[in-house]
Amino acid sequence: MTLLESIPEKLGITASMVDKGGVHWLEPGAMTVRELSAAMNAVKARFITITAYQLPKDEGFRLEYHWDLDGQLLGFPFVLAGKSIESIYDQCEAVDWIEREIHEGFGIDFTGREYEPLLLRQGDTPGVNLREEAK
Amino acid sequence: MSYKIPMGPYHPALEEPYKLDLICDGETVCDAKLHIGFNFRGIEHLAETRNYVQVIALMERVCGICSNIHTLTLCQAMEGLTGMTPPPRAQYIRVVVAELERLHSHVLWAGIAAKLMGFKTMFMTCFELREKVMDVLQAISGNRVNYSMNRVGGVNRDIDDPQAVLRMVEALEAEMLRTVIPIFTTSSTARSRCAGIGVLTLEKALSCGVVGPTARASGLPQDLRRAAPYAAYSELEFDVPVQQDGDVRARLLVRALEIMETCKILRQALTKLPPGELFAGDGKFDFTKLVTTTSTSRVEAPRGEVMYSVSWKENSRNPSRVHVRTPTFANMPAVRWMVMGARLADTPLIQASIDPCYSCTDR
Repeated sequence: MTLLESIPEKLGITASMVDKGGVHWLEPGAMTVRELSAAMNAVKARFITITAYQLPKDEGFRLEYHWDLDGQLLGFPFVLAGKSIESIYDQCEAVDWIEREIHEGFGIDFTGREYEPLLLRQGDTPGVNLREEAK
Repeated sequence: MSYKIPMGPYHPALEEPYKLDLICDGETVCDAKLHIGFNFRGIEHLAETRNYVQVIALMERVCGICSNIHTLTLCQAMEGLTGMTPPPRAQYIRVVVAELERLHSHVLWAGIAAKLMGFKTMFMTCFELREKVMDVLQAISGNRVNYSMNRVGGVNRDIDDPQAVLRMVEALEAEMLRTVIPIFTTSSTARSRCAGIGVLTLEKALSCGVVGPTARASGLPQDLRRAAPYAAYSELEFDVPVQQDGDVRARLLVRALEIMETCKILRQALTKLPPGELFAGDGKFDFTKLVTTTSTSRVEAPRGEVMYSVSWKENSRNPSRVHVRTPTFANMPAVRWMVMGARLADTPLIQASIDPCYSCTDR
């Protein structure tokens, strides 16, 4: 079994990995993003980015967390009913700027961390760039 | 007593507008805060308002140096949506243009680094060489900045006379071997100015998630051309230069050695360029057959890994979301750790050593 194939078992996820659109997708199920981040650190996966999507109507947001494992791109989708999710900044330093960018672009709060402005200038409002209602 | 020295957003040491707030104790930098966003153009939002043809032209304008890489990554992601596979000749042409772009980007960086070292003659030599690389790109594409080479399913233009391009590349390689490479790898000026400064340890490189030459100079042997080959890279032989010291000199050496590897790749790609079509099928991106879905693509740009996530809604002419993760976005936060403990006078060279691009970063 390769390291990639062992990932669902290491994470304690029964769902199998789906290879689609250039990404090995794995539904995290009941796993929190902080548990996932700790598990990715344990297998020495390299954090790549988070991609945020606003879902139609009032369905919230989908955040796709991506890590690289020996050249393979892993994707873990998290659906947010509200507009907040736990930050993993204290576990994974590399998420700092992307959490700040998503906070500013979509108005999503990453709880448990402090923010400083990244792209926005004084007087701008988070959510102004990419939220549907702001377009 | 510590005091704050703002550098930027407009400053002679910075090639593009961004800001470093340096907290200093005497001449020693204790900490730094980075501020970006001065080149923010809202390109990800604009992409949602462009159709499947216009979005390629738009994303080519994310960056003025690695413009081709952005369209390559976008087109690969869009090909993932439709299941199109570019023909072999197109894959090789994509490699040729991507490597020429890497060459001119690395030589441009070498020139800027030479200027910041106080090595003005070298700056002029590098920019003269870069002009010659751009002449090759112009000979292939007709353009010097936005080459418009990529389309969904292949490329827009052929390389009619690969041997002529090969001769130009060989002349360039000889000139690099005569001037740039020996000076950057062996000269005492470059060594004394760059060795031991701006160190990014392997541990910090891992935790910051740095990419490209910045990562490889800290001992991380990651290169998507090798780890997750795209276009025709799996058919070409090349080495991935890695250095262990993590300082400015290591980043200099990695790029200098990569210039030679790029010449090696170009020679192979131009020699092996297979015959055939330039794009798959009738060359149309049939959005009417798309279901709502997302596709992701990654490539190794001159500064490191670029990733595009493209999402499309059923029967839409426009993407519903285009997310771009650029290498400087991953590398720049690490500059804080590189400048800590450095002399104030070294900070311009240290921040330049990651080859930052703020047009890419801000988008």
